[in-house]
Amino acid sequence: MLKINNLKAGIEDNQILKGINLEIKAGEVHAIMGPNGSGKSTLASVIAGKEEYDVEGGEIDFEGADLLDLTPEERAHKGVFLSFQYPVEIPGISVSNFIKTSINERRKAADLDPMPAKELLKKLRDKMELLSIDKGYLSRNMNEGFSGGEKKRNEIFQMAMLEPKLSILDETDSGLDIDALRIVANGVNKLRSKDNATIVITHYQRLLDYIIPDFVHVLYKGRIVKSGGKELALELEEKGYDWITKEADKKWA
Amino acid sequence: MGLINNIKSYSEGIQISAEKKEIFSSFLTNGFPTTKDEEWKYTSLKKVIANEYSIENKGEVIDLSVIEKYSLEFENRIIFSDGKLINTPTIKGVSITGFSEFESKTTDSILQLNKALSQNGFTISVDKNTVVENPIEILFLSTTENSFSQYRNQISIGENSEVKFVERIQNINNSASFVNHFTQINCDKNTKSEYNKIQNNTAKSQLIDTVNVYQEQDSTCNINTLIFGGSFTRNNLNFEQNGSNCESNMNGVSVLNDNQLADNHTFVDHKSAHCRSNEMYKGVYLGHSKGIFNGKIMVRPDAQKIDAFQSNNNLLLSNTSSIDSKPQLEIYADDVKCSHGCTIGQLDDDALFYMRSRGIGIEEAKAVLTYAFASEAIENISVEQVKTLAKNLLAQKLNVDLDFSL
Repeated sequence: MLKINNLKAGIEDNQILKGINLEIKAGEVHAIMGPNGSGKSTLASVIAGKEEYDVEGGEIDFEGADLLDLTPEERAHKGVFLSFQYPVEIPGISVSNFIKTSINERRKAADLDPMPAKELLKKLRDKMELLSIDKGYLSRNMNEGFSGGEKKRNEIFQMAMLEPKLSILDETDSGLDIDALRIVANGVNKLRSKDNATIVITHYQRLLDYIIPDFVHVLYKGRIVKSGGKELALELEEKGYDWITKEADKKWA
Repeated sequence: MGLINNIKSYSEGIQISAEKKEIFSSFLTNGFPTTKDEEWKYTSLKKVIANEYSIENKGEVIDLSVIEKYSLEFENRIIFSDGKLINTPTIKGVSITGFSEFESKTTDSILQLNKALSQNGFTISVDKNTVVENPIEILFLSTTENSFSQYRNQISIGENSEVKFVERIQNINNSASFVNHFTQINCDKNTKSEYNKIQNNTAKSQLIDTVNVYQEQDSTCNINTLIFGGSFTRNNLNFEQNGSNCESNMNGVSVLNDNQLADNHTFVDHKSAHCRSNEMYKGVYLGHSKGIFNGKIMVRPDAQKIDAFQSNNNLLLSNTSSIDSKPQLEIYADDVKCSHGCTIGQLDDDALFYMRSRGIGIEEAKAVLTYAFASEAIENISVEQVKTLAKNLLAQKLNVDLDFSL
């Protein structure tokens, strides 16, 4: 589904990603871990198409198309979804109106008519139930005055409504208490299928107790320095990142 | 040459009272305001008055279909065609007639000219204890090419009464028209009123619109100004609070492109204690457009316990648009709450990326954010049809097809 080849990207003169290689197949969950400042969020933003990053080299192949040639909205139309680490407040637009616009813009790109109101309402109801969201929430302005946890839940709610092929969850666990974490993780798990894939970006192992990854990668100084199965996350929890980063630093020296 | 001469020759052919002659000669002495006048510092009338105008309006018959095009189709409609009153509704407890003489301030030369020479307009009087359920729509239509027109209107709202208006000044052809419009609103005790101005005239239309509101005790008056069209728009909106517990509310939305200019001058004169005023003006500027906001709040020495709030927020969506914004507070009482704020900015890049990452195209995303920016002021309008029109005009102006309702 996704094949990242030697991706180099940065901001202004500062190169952050220094040659990322990563392959993700449909049905898989990949966790990307790593110390602060290793480039995890940059990778998420570059896949989603944030323009302030300069891509200096490499490709991101997504189902046969190079994502780097596409605008952020075109990537979304193809099925890429980013759950933001810091979701943006948009006053004046209700959650329901925002989601409706997103769904219909995507349908428009696929030459489909807008989703009939009845179908939309049913879908909203089903997904709200999945994520234990109450009704009053739909008429609130997008993320305005939301607590950290509410914002994160709103991200997963949008993901549930948009049904993307590739979801990137950027630090979705930060700001969530244990109950909210369970609800969100449960929602993500229920949305998993053999046709979609998920990238879970996290600093801590905690989230991976609930969303079990097929692969774990450690990102350090803009490169993937170690990959393994889910047991790698447990090893990191126990031993920290030092043993990996030291090894990498030695190798690069 | 130019408008002054057109006006002079017109004045020679008509009979006016000695009092009006005197006012007219003051106008001629003062002339139109220039950018040397403090109140007109950022707004130049030079080009507007350099044109030649036709002052005698032709009075062509306007087809009903044309009227429907510009009407929001309210049941109660007052319609002017080239100054002539062609339709007045019958409403219980409301008297509606044409132009009448009334006392008014002539604080500037624009008002002097209006008082001296205007012969068209409406006079509305709402009885005591009357609630007018349906809004009264007022259409000023003009068929004359390059016309200069003046209207002079008065509304008097009797004690304990409620009424709403929707006004539109509209050119039927696309010539360079210029309108000097004046409306005086007298709000008696315990009245509630709302006046909505839809300023969406053709590309070459020019307008100076002055509204003077006089409020008595316990009255609330809301004036909403929506500027989408016209090449030159100057609004002077003046409130005078003459009794306790008055509330004056102003909401303004300007969405301009090309070389449009819109200037909102507001003045709230707090003469009595325990009163409130709220103003919220939102401006969106594209192309080479220019906005001006000047909000003056005066709190007189005896006007204690005043709560005055003013905000002017602007979005500059092009590198060639501009806004001059000036709050002017004169406070002579010591126990008052007055706040004002002005912001000038662009659309938030993070919010744009957020929306695009959800599949919303960049133009639509900009439109949604712009709508969100303006919506706070639009939401304060109580007449649903006006609210819907404002949203549609906004989408149209930003060139997107968006359904905002859900």
